Formats: sequence, structure tokens, C-alpha cells
Amino acid sequence: MKDRSSIPEACIHCGTCVSVCPVEKVGGHAIVSLLTDPESTDHSAWLCTSCWRCQESCPMDVDIYGLMMERRRREKAPAGYQIAFDSILACGLALEVPQEELDQMRAVWGLEPIDLPPQGLARALLRTDRCAEADLTPPDSSAAPSE
Amino acid sequence: MTARSSLAFYPGCLVLQRMPEYELATRAVLSALGIELEIVQQAVCCGSPVAESFTADWIYLGAYNLALVERMGHDTVVTVCGGCTNTLTRAAQAMRDPGTRAEANCRLKPSALSVSGRVEVKHLVRLLIEREEELQARIVRPLSFRVAITNPCQAFRPGDVMNFDDPMEPQSLRRLVELTGAEVAEYGGEDECCGATLYLANPDLALAAGRRKLETTQTSNPDLLLHACGNCQLLLRRFQRLIVGDDLSLRRQALLLPQLVGLAMGLPEADIGLREGVWR
Repeated sequence: MKDRSSIPEACIHCGTCVSVCPVEKVGGHAIVSLLTDPESTDHSAWLCTSCWRCQESCPMDVDIYGLMMERRRREKAPAGYQIAFDSILACGLALEVPQEELDQMRAVWGLEPIDLPPQGLARALLRTDRCAEADLTPPDSSAAPSE
Repeated sequence: MTARSSLAFYPGCLVLQRMPEYELATRAVLSALGIELEIVQQAVCCGSPVAESFTADWIYLGAYNLALVERMGHDTVVTVCGGCTNTLTRAAQAMRDPGTRAEANCRLKPSALSVSGRVEVKHLVRLLIEREEELQARIVRPLSFRVAITNPCQAFRPGDVMNFDDPMEPQSLRRLVELTGAEVAEYGGEDECCGATLYLANPDLALAAGRRKLETTQTSNPDLLLHACGNCQLLLRRFQRLIVGDDLSLRRQALLLPQLVGLAMGLPEADIGLREGVWR
């Protein structure tokens, strides 16, 4: 793997990223607009298709994708994203679908029934605290929490 | 006769819930090549692009899915969307770090699962091109279509992570089309993203990107569009009416890769999710 720089200072504002961006081609302004114009105010980290062309083309190996994702995590999400994420937390899938409905659809196509993930599992997998810290704590520590 | 083998299959939310024909056609083509697919039960979302946009811990969704594949006893999981291929591959790579792997295994303990990161994630394009000779031997009905392709972006990039084909100008999908006898209709946008994932943030921009794609493909006057990702097919086929409105000149049939390959293999149309005699 390349050693990518997440520091936008490495950016030389060459515009390669903008020239390959599918969002810029239809008049939207993605995170790449910030790189070519640091004063840009009308760009959005959410207007990205995750096609990775900017990152692949960057002559300075700037981690544009990482920069974009960091920004998203700090900003309010568009409704479409928020609804999908809430669904993932609740049922594990980006679109909530009843098991019965899914199996009926699959049966029509001659596909076997499928087990959906347990409710709430994704929320547990995405727990915000570190799980393994307990394992790294010395056995004699009185502060070691139990599972 | 080729020995039959079995691989794990991860359809992802979109294909599982909205595109059964993609799973059906993938199964039919691979079965004809001696490969049976065992679906990953109880899988969660791959993380792309939604969960990743909210938390750096999205990799633990991937770790869980990979752990399920390991428990099934498989070393390879087959994917059919660019997004799933990308995030599962990046999650597998993240598991190489002992600290991250320990954290993943701690989170997996309540599910009685563990992850080593040994599972290889393979997009259908990769799986098929690795079996190019076998596939060629099975082409019994060479096609005469002119096909406009859109490469599944995330199956190829970032190149240093996906490690497959040329990341900016991949050739595998093109080669697979040529194997079927069909001609690749050059339009210059083969490596340009369809824009489907914009839909979550801004539907109008997504439709504008889709329109741009349809207009560009038009320049080569193809018989059909060809996709190897649920997202491309969702925007450019399912949402095509929304994109083109009354402009019927932009309407185009769009097939999924295994449907095209399946036709050339002489598989019955119903077995690859095409309505016999109607889909053309």
C-alpha cells in the first residue's frame, strides 16, 4: 500500500482531482473543490460517488477519500444517508425489509430463503467504546471490567 | 468435466433486496462453470458508502461478514457490487493489523465468531476473467450485440488495495464482453462512474449524472448497456424513466454481466432473469 498523506497541505492545487470527478462534471462541487480552492464554501463532502478516481489520479498521493470521510463524520448527514444508517443500526441492512417479504420475493425467482442478521447486531458491532481494551489491561488491575 | 467447487456469496443489501435477477444470473453462469454459490446467511451491510460515512468503526461490519465466511469454511467470497467488493477488501486488509484484529474479535465474541482476515474477496468480473479459458470453451452462442460498458469503479480502485487489473483503465470487463462475441461500443466513458451513489445525498445530481452517462453512450449507438454493479443497474436501468422522461431516444436496454455471459453460454433466458422473447 502507498503511504498516503491525509494532510491537505501536501496538495499542490493542480486540479487533476477536479478534472476526473463525476460530480464536478454535472455541476456539483465535491471535496475536490476544496483542494483546488481552499476558500471554497459551496462544496460538500457528501457529494461523492466513492469512485476513487481523484485519489487514484492524485500526483501527491493525498488521501482525498479519507479526508472526505473524516469530514462526513463531523457534519450533519443528508436525510437519505441518515435514514439508511438508522436502518443499518436497527436491522443490519441499509434497507429494512421483512423476512417474509424477502423470502416470498426470492421464492418467485427460485432462490432459497435467507436468514437476516439479528436485530441490533450492527449497533453492537459499531459500539463506540473500545472492546479489546479490557484484554490489554494487566490481569491484576482492579479497574479491569468484566465482559 | 470440471470438478465442482463451492464458494461463499455475499450479495449485499441492494442485490439481496432489489435485484434478485443479478443473483439468479450469477448463480446460473457460475453453476455452468462448475461453481456453486453458498450465500452468506445473517450477513450485515458491507458499510459502503453509508456506515463508513458515519463511523471509522465501519470495518467491524466487514469483519463480521468475513468471520461468517470463515465459519462457513470458505477462503473466497464472491461479490457482485463494486461497493461491497471495496469495503470487504479494505476490511480484510484492516484485519492484518493485530490491534484492529483483536478489537474485531472482541466485538465478534458475543456472536461466537472470529476473524483472521484470510478470506479473499472476489468480484464476479475477477472470478470470471480468472477462468477465461473455461469460459471461452462454454460459449456456444456467440452474440452480435454492440455493448456500452461501465466498469464497476470500486472493484478496481484504489489500485494498491484492490490489486486487480489497471485501476484507471481496467480491461477485464471489456475482455469478458469480447469473449461472448459481442463488440464493445466505445464511447469514452467506460471508466467513468455512473453516479448512482449520489442518489442518497442529492437525487437530482444522481439523475443528471445518469443522463450524462446515457447521452455519452448514445454517441456509439450501442444495442445495450452492460453493468457489473447493482448501483449502475439501479440508476441506469431501474431509474432510467426518471432520467430520460419523454426523451425516448435515450432509452436503452441494460443487462447485467452474468446475463450477457449467460446468453452466450446458451443458458435459458428465464434462468438468467430475462423474460423470454420480451427483454430485447
